[in-house]
This record gives sequence, structure tokens and C-alpha cells, in this order.
Amino acid sequence: MRSLAYFIKEAFSNSRKNFSTTFGGIITIFLSLLVIGVFMVASLIIDQMIKSVESQVSISIYLHDDVTDMDLESFKGFLSNMPEVSTVVYISKEQSLERFKEQATTDIADQLDGNPLPALLEVSLREPDKVQSVVDQIMANDLFLSVIDRPDAPQDSIKYGKDIIEKLFSITSTIRIVCIALVILLVFVALIFINNTIRLAILARRKEIAIMKLVGASNGFIRGPFLMEGFLQAVIGAGLSIGTISMLCNYLIKNVQTILPWLPINMGQLSLWMIYLVLLGAGVVIGLFGSLWAMRRYLKV
Amino acid sequence: MDENELIQQAPGAPPIVIPMTESAPQPVIIQQETPKRAEKSGPLPITNRPTQGGIPVILFEGVSKVYSAQPNKPALSNINLGINAGEFIFLVGHSGSGKSTFIRLINREIVASRGRLLVAGEDVIRMRNWRVPYLRRNIGCVYQDFKLLPNKTAFDNVAFALQVIGKSKHIIRTQVPEVLRLVGLEDKIHSYPDQLSGGEQQRVSIARAIVNRPPLLICDEPTGNLDPQTSLGIMRLLDRINRTGTTILVATHDREMVDSLRKRVVELENGYLVRDQDKGVYGIDA
Repeated sequence: MRSLAYFIKEAFSNSRKNFSTTFGGIITIFLSLLVIGVFMVASLIIDQMIKSVESQVSISIYLHDDVTDMDLESFKGFLSNMPEVSTVVYISKEQSLERFKEQATTDIADQLDGNPLPALLEVSLREPDKVQSVVDQIMANDLFLSVIDRPDAPQDSIKYGKDIIEKLFSITSTIRIVCIALVILLVFVALIFINNTIRLAILARRKEIAIMKLVGASNGFIRGPFLMEGFLQAVIGAGLSIGTISMLCNYLIKNVQTILPWLPINMGQLSLWMIYLVLLGAGVVIGLFGSLWAMRRYLKV
Repeated sequence: MDENELIQQAPGAPPIVIPMTESAPQPVIIQQETPKRAEKSGPLPITNRPTQGGIPVILFEGVSKVYSAQPNKPALSNINLGINAGEFIFLVGHSGSGKSTFIRLINREIVASRGRLLVAGEDVIRMRNWRVPYLRRNIGCVYQDFKLLPNKTAFDNVAFALQVIGKSKHIIRTQVPEVLRLVGLEDKIHSYPDQLSGGEQQRVSIARAIVNRPPLLICDEPTGNLDPQTSLGIMRLLDRINRTGTTILVATHDREMVDSLRKRVVELENGYLVRDQDKGVYGIDA
């Protein structure tokens, strides 16, 4: 315990002496962990986005204005009987207009002459990934062409979130690859930086180390202050990055949520804490490993 | 408490006092008999020492050291020598004769290439690395260049040696002033090395070497940087420390010193042990 106090004291006095390199080490760890953290938070958000988009996947079928009640009822019956379908909701022309008025930012709806919007059927699915096969089955149905808004272009009368999901997936996989490359690079840079600070610290105290060896200080005791220095740099860097990320998250939830209400940003508090823990752990590993690496080469005891 | 087993003296306890009589220490001298030795460098070591005695505290048995930079010229060749507890030994020889190698083998700054080297009963050649610090706690070291830390006072320099082996503040507060008084620096306790003369700095470094009360003190050219008058003071101090029972080994060029103290003299030449003489002088032919 007495040695631990000594290690901390030595680490601090040494950090003061080599302030610029220590500062550089802290900043490098901070930036590396910040990027890792931002990447982790972003992938958390994206995962949740994908999930919510998937759960929102529904098939909208736009109906002809003059569709007969009988056709509509039997078509609805056909849809409800499909095993993949959970609910089928009919939305009339009036309801459709109401909805449009609610979502529209301008009062353009009031200037409309009559109601141009079609009625529609909203089909929601039990399993979002079956959307394509359900759509194929609907389009193969005999009644389909007779109920839809534009029989001449059946593709335009049935809408589903296929494009959104595919785009989202392709974007996230690209982001992921870029981030992983960046993280590896930055971890490497942080390791080198820590290695360098500790090496300088060792060189600055060569004489002291020689005397310590001479009078029989144990190897652990000689290494202690340097390990402690690397550890402290890592912990400070990790703390800074955790603070920054938690500030960013708060900002994101408060401000971006109001600007982009359709973007669901709700990170679980638990997963955030997990991210902080991972960042701290990664920082400590980088710090300890970097200083051990420096000592292996310069502190042959 | 491994370090205590090494030499039967607890750190911090008063040193074991071994009375220094004229005939008390009788080290083993093993005559060198290898044919290689005889061929290469002429006569066996000249010695007036009897070949019987107690258990040596340092025992060289056929020790050789070859540096990788000079594979054909061993720094030490087949050294056989025993040093008993409480002895005072001068190690003499020209530059490059192997004195420093000899010294550094003992505290395992370097490891011998061949042979067996026992220090306090432990084989330092086959010793595990982690044991080395505990070996060194039992060996005080003094060097020509003092090796003091310039940013620490005399007190702190000596205290440092105790701090880094984990001694308590209480022990440091009592032992450091005591040992500084012993070396005659009681009024310079808070001076920095650059405020002290060469002799005084060497006294600080001796104080640091003996503050942990090691049974063995090895000195590599302790007076190499000092004038004759100051050197005499240092040697008297070493002699005084020796009288408290500490075994002392001094590698030196200082002819005057060796001749005036008349201790056991061991001479090295080109890595061979050529002389081992009780109450010897610096040069046999001088």
C-alpha cells in the first residue's frame, strides 16, 4: 500500500515534468476512445432505427375511388386470411386527407379543390422480413387489379418499405467498415503515443533507475511508477471521452429529436453504461500495454 | 523473507561483529590447475595464503567471463578465489585486467559464462532474475562516479535506497542521520551533491551503500576521482566499516592506499588471477 502511494506520487511528479508528452498521450487516448465510442453509440442508434423501421413495415394498397363494397370486403377477407398478416385497416379518403393535413407543414391542404387522395388499406405484418412474399401474393390475387387506384400501373398502387430497409443496411455496413478501420488505426496511434511517453519518462529517470537496481529495489517496484503513469493517462483519456460522449448523447436526444422527429433516438441507459465500461476498459488496456511495451525494451531489470 | 535467508542477518538489525584479529579469516584458496591456464600465462598465482579456512562468503570456482564483443579474449579466465566474512580485500590490476568484471559478477550486473560463483551460499550464475534484487540488498556498492541523484539532498539520496526497498518512514528517519554521522557528514545532511566536495559526495555514496547494513560492501575505484588526502580519508572510513564486521572488496589503482593499509591483495592480469597475498602491497616487484 505504501508502494502504491509512492507509485502514484512518482507518476504525478513525472507527468508534471513531461507535461507536453503526457498531454499528448492523454489527448491521443481521448480521441481514439471518442471515435470508438461515437462509433458504438452510432451503431446502437442505427440498430434501433433498423428495428423500428422493420416494425413499421406495412403494406399500403391504394384503392380505386369507385371500388364496390363487395370487392373491397372480399379483398379484405383475402388479406386477413393470409397467415403472415396481423391486421388490415381501411382508411377512407376523408381520413387520408385528415392525416395529410396533420403531417403537412403548410396549409396547402386547405387550398385543395375536393379530395385527390385515395382511400387505402394498411396491411401490417407479423414478420417484417416476409414483406416481399406477401406483396407477391397480393399482386397475384384476381381482385387486386379491380380494386386498386391505378390498374395501369399496379406497382405504384402498392407501397412498402423495401427501399428504405435496403438503403439503411448498405449505409450501415459501409459506416461499420470505415469505423473499424479508423478504430484500429487510432488504437495503434494511441499505443505508440503511450509507448513514447513512457519511454521518455524512463529515459529521463535512467540514473534513478540504475540506482534503484543497484540498491536492490524489486523489479515490480521499479516498474510501478511507469505502469501507473500509463494507467493514469489512459484513465484520464477514457474519462474525457466518456464525458464527451455522454454530453453528445444528451445533446442528440434533446435537439436532434425535435428537428428530426421521424428519427427514433432512444438509447437504453444500460447499453450506454456498457459503452462507457468498454471505453474505460479499452483505455486501461491501451495504457497498460503501451507502458509495458516501452518497459520491455528500455527497462531490462 | 527471502532476503534474510541469503545472509544470516536481518536487515535493520545491528551488523554481526566479527573480531578482526591478525589470523582470524582464513579463506580457501584453490590452486589453479587447469592446463590451459598454465600454458597461457605462466606461473600460478603467487600466494602466501594457507589453503584452509572457514566457509567463504564469496567463492569463485573456475569462473570465466567472455563478452560477446570479444569472444577470443575472456575478460576473466578460470578464477578461483574465496573471500571470508569480515575480510578487507584490495583487487588490483591494470585497466582492462578484469577488475570491474570481477566486481560486477558479484552483484550480478553481469553473469559469468562458466564456472560457479557463490555469494553468501547462493549461486549467482544460476540465480533466478527475480531473486537478484534480494541479493543486491545484501551487497553495498560504491563507484568511482558516486552515482548520486543531483536533485536530492544527502539525506534524500541515502533515504532513497531505503525507500525503494520498502522501508518504513520510521526506519528512514532513524537510520539515515545515523549513517551520515558515521561517514562524518552530520553537518551536511541537507546539502545537495553539487554543494559537496568529491570526497564528501563519495561519503554520501558510501553511506547509501551501508545504510541497509549489508554484510558485503564492494567498491569499484572508490578513490579514482579523489586527491590522495581525501582518498586516505575514504580508505580509513572503509577500514572503520570493515571493523564492524562488513566484508569489503575494493578494486583500486591507488598504489599508496594499498601499500599503506597492508590488507589482502588480489591481483588480476589480462583476466587471470596472478597474485593473492596477505598484507600485500600494490606491486609485487615495486
